[in-house]
Amino acid sequence: MRFVWIAALKELRCLRRDPFSVLTWMGIPLSIALLIHLIFGGGQAVPQGRLLVADEDNTIVSDMLTSAFGRDPLGKMLTVEKVDAPAGRARIDRGDGSAFLLIPKGLQDAFLRNQPFRIQLFSNPSQRILPKMVEETLLIMTDGAFYIQKVAAGELRPFDSGRSPSDDAIAQRSVDIRHLVTGLNKYLSPPLIELETTVVVEKQRNVTRPSFYFPSMIFMGLLLMAGGFASEAWKERTFHTLRRLAATPAPLASFLAGRLAAVALLYFAVAALGVATLRWLAPGEVSHPLAAVVWAALSGTAFFLLMLPVSMSASSQRAAQVLGNLVIFPLALVGGCFFPLEIAPAWMASIGRLTPNGWAVTQFKAILSGSLRPAHLAVAMGGLVAVGILAFLLALRSLRRGLLA
Amino acid sequence: MIEVERLRKSFVDLTAVDGVSFTARPGEIFGLLGPNGAGKTTTIGCISGLLTPTAGRVRVMGHDVVRDGRAARQALGVVPQEIALYEDLSALENLSYWGGAQGMRNPLLRDRIAKVLEITGLQDRAREPVKRFSGGMKRRLNLACGIVHQPRVLLLDEPTVGVDPQSRMRLLELIRAEARAGVCVLYTTHYMEEAETLCDRLAIVDHGKVIAAGDLAQLRSMLAERDLLRLSGVFHPAAARAALERIGAIEVLQADEGLLILSLAGASGKLPSIFAALAACGADVRGTTLTQPSLESLFIKLTGKELRE
Ligand SMILES: Nc1ncnc2c1ncn2[C@@H]1O[C@H](COP(=O)(O)OP(=O)(O)O)[C@@H](O)[C@H]1O
Ligand SMILES: [Mg+2]
Repeated sequence: MRFVWIAALKELRCLRRDPFSVLTWMGIPLSIALLIHLIFGGGQAVPQGRLLVADEDNTIVSDMLTSAFGRDPLGKMLTVEKVDAPAGRARIDRGDGSAFLLIPKGLQDAFLRNQPFRIQLFSNPSQRILPKMVEETLLIMTDGAFYIQKVAAGELRPFDSGRSPSDDAIAQRSVDIRHLVTGLNKYLSPPLIELETTVVVEKQRNVTRPSFYFPSMIFMGLLLMAGGFASEAWKERTFHTLRRLAATPAPLASFLAGRLAAVALLYFAVAALGVATLRWLAPGEVSHPLAAVVWAALSGTAFFLLMLPVSMSASSQRAAQVLGNLVIFPLALVGGCFFPLEIAPAWMASIGRLTPNGWAVTQFKAILSGSLRPAHLAVAMGGLVAVGILAFLLALRSLRRGLLA
Repeated sequence: MIEVERLRKSFVDLTAVDGVSFTARPGEIFGLLGPNGAGKTTTIGCISGLLTPTAGRVRVMGHDVVRDGRAARQALGVVPQEIALYEDLSALENLSYWGGAQGMRNPLLRDRIAKVLEITGLQDRAREPVKRFSGGMKRRLNLACGIVHQPRVLLLDEPTVGVDPQSRMRLLELIRAEARAGVCVLYTTHYMEEAETLCDRLAIVDHGKVIAAGDLAQLRSMLAERDLLRLSGVFHPAAARAALERIGAIEVLQADEGLLILSLAGASGKLPSIFAALAACGADVRGTTLTQPSLESLFIKLTGKELRE
C-alpha cells in the first residue's frame, strides 16, 4: 500500500521534470475555446436571419412595431426587408426567409381605438430559433401596446371619434403620439428590453454561449490528456523500468494505482481550472461546480485507464501516440468533444451519446445546468466508478503483457 | 543461495533455456558465461520472477520463485542487462524509488542511498537528471539501484556492457565487495576475461544448455593443458586438415577457407612443422595467434566456435 504513494510521487516528479507535455494537452483545447470565444463571443452574433415585412398599414404604430426588430440584440441577427404581401407569402412558402410578418391596413386605427386587431406571422419551419424570437418580440410589443393604452388613454381619446380625421389632424396627432411614446419609452423600455434579453438568451442556442461549447473543450482536453498519459506510460517500457519493477516485491497493481492517483490529481486540477474558467466566461451558468469538477476529474481518470491498454498494445511509444490519436480523435469528433452533440446530425448524436466521452460530457452538461437530480448523479457516478474498476483490471492486464513483450 | 534445477523455458518458437542446473552459494560470485542468445537473460528472468519457468525448479534463499515469489523477490537485487532507470529523475530520486519498491523505509533508506552514491562515486551528481549522465555513470547507478536495499542475492546481467575501462574496474570492484560481504552473486557475461578474473565458479552455457561447469581450475583441466593455435590465411580445408593430422597429436577444431583452429600441447615447439606441412599443401598463412589454455579455448573446444562473433 505504501508503494502506491511512492509510485504516485515518482509519477508527479517525472511530470514536473517534463511539464510541457501536460501543458500541450491542456493548451490545445483551451486555445480552441478561447478562439471560439474571441470570434463569436465578442458581440457579433452568428445566426443571420431575414424577416420579411409587408406593412400595409404604413403608419407610425406599424412603424414602431417593425422598428423593434432593428434594435439590439435582434438587429444583429435579423435583417428586416420590406416586401408586399403576395411576394412575402410566396417567399416564405419557398423557405426564403426566417419569417414573414403581415400587418394589414388598420393597425393604427385599431390601436388608437383600443380595438382587437390581428397581425399575422408566418414562420419558416426549417428554422426554429429566429422565428421563435420574432414571435416573442411581437408578443412583447403587443403587451406593450396594451400598457400604452392604459397609460395614455387621454391622449389617444381624440382619435376615438368614429370619423376619419383630416390629414392635418392625423399629422399633428402623430407628432403628439411620437412625443408620448418617446416620453413613455423611459418607463417602458427598461422592462421591454429586459424581457427581450431574457427571451433571446433562453432561445439562443448557438456556439456563442460558453456553457454550450466550453464543456466540449474541457472534455477534449481530458481526452487528449488521457492519450498523453497513456502513451507516457509507454516510457516504462522504453526505460525497462516496468521489467525491473517486476523483479521487486512491489505489486504491479500498487504501481498502477499510484500512477492512477497522480493522474487523478492532475485531472482534478485541470477540471477545477476548466470549471472555474467556465464560471468566469459564463457567470451564473454553472450550477454545481463541485460535482462538475469531481465528474470531470473522474471521467478523465477513467479515459486514462481505457487508453492504457490501447497504448500498451502498440509496439513503440511513437506507435502508441499514433494509435492513441487514432482512437481519441474519432471519439472526440463523434462524442461531442470537438463540437457539442446538440449541433451534430441526429444520427451522429445518438451514436455519440453511446461513446464513453459522449456519455460523460452529456452528464457533465446536465450537472452544469442543474438538470441532473442527485439520485441520477449518484447512479451516474456509480456507473463511472464501475467502468473505472473494469478499466483498471484491463489496464493491469495490459501492463502485465507489456512486461513480457 | 540460488538453486536452479533442470530449468527449462520455452517460448512459442524456441526453447531458450533447456535443462539448466546450478547452485550459487552465499559469498561467492557465480558466473554464467555464454555468447549472445545462449539463454543467460532468460535464466535470470526465471529467477527474478519476470518469467514463469516451463519446467524445473528455482529457489532463492529457499523460497520457490513460483509458489513463494514475493518472499523470493524480497531477498533479491536485480541489475538488468538494459539500463532500467527513470531518465527524467535524479540519481537520488531513482534510488529512493527503487529502494521504496523493495520495501525500504526512510531513516535507513536515506543512509543506504548516501552509502551507495558514495561507493559508486555518484554523490556529486546525485541531484542531476539521469539523462545527463554518461553511459558509465548510468551503469553504476543501475547497479546502485539493485543493491540499495542490501539484498542477500544479487543477479547481475551483463552489467559492464558498453562501459569505459575505468567504470568497469570500479563496477567489478563493487561486485567483489558485495560478495565479500556475504552476498550470493550471479553474474552473466560474454566476456571471457571478466569471467576468469571475477568469478569463483561458473557455468558455460550455449543454446540454453550448460556445456561445462566448475571453478576455473576444473574448467582449465578440461583442456588438458592444450594450447589453442589460430591460423588465418587462404586454405583448402580438406587438404590442410589431412596434412595437419599427419603430424600427429593435433586436434583440428575448425577448418575453413580463411581460418584454422587447432588444439595441441606444446604448440610453440611444433610451429615449424605445422608451417611446413601447410606450405606443402599450398596454403598461404598470413596470421598466427597462440593462446594458452583459457575459457575461450575451452569454449571453442566444446562448441567448435568462437565466443565473440
Ligand atoms: N520473450 C521472448 N520470446 C521469444 N524468444 C525469446 C524471448 N526472450 C528471449 N528469446 C530468445 O531466447 C534466446 C535466449 O535469449 P537470452 O536469454 O536473451 O540470451 P542471452 O541473454 O544469453 O543473450 C534467444 O534466441 C532469444 O531470441
Ligand atoms: Mg542477455
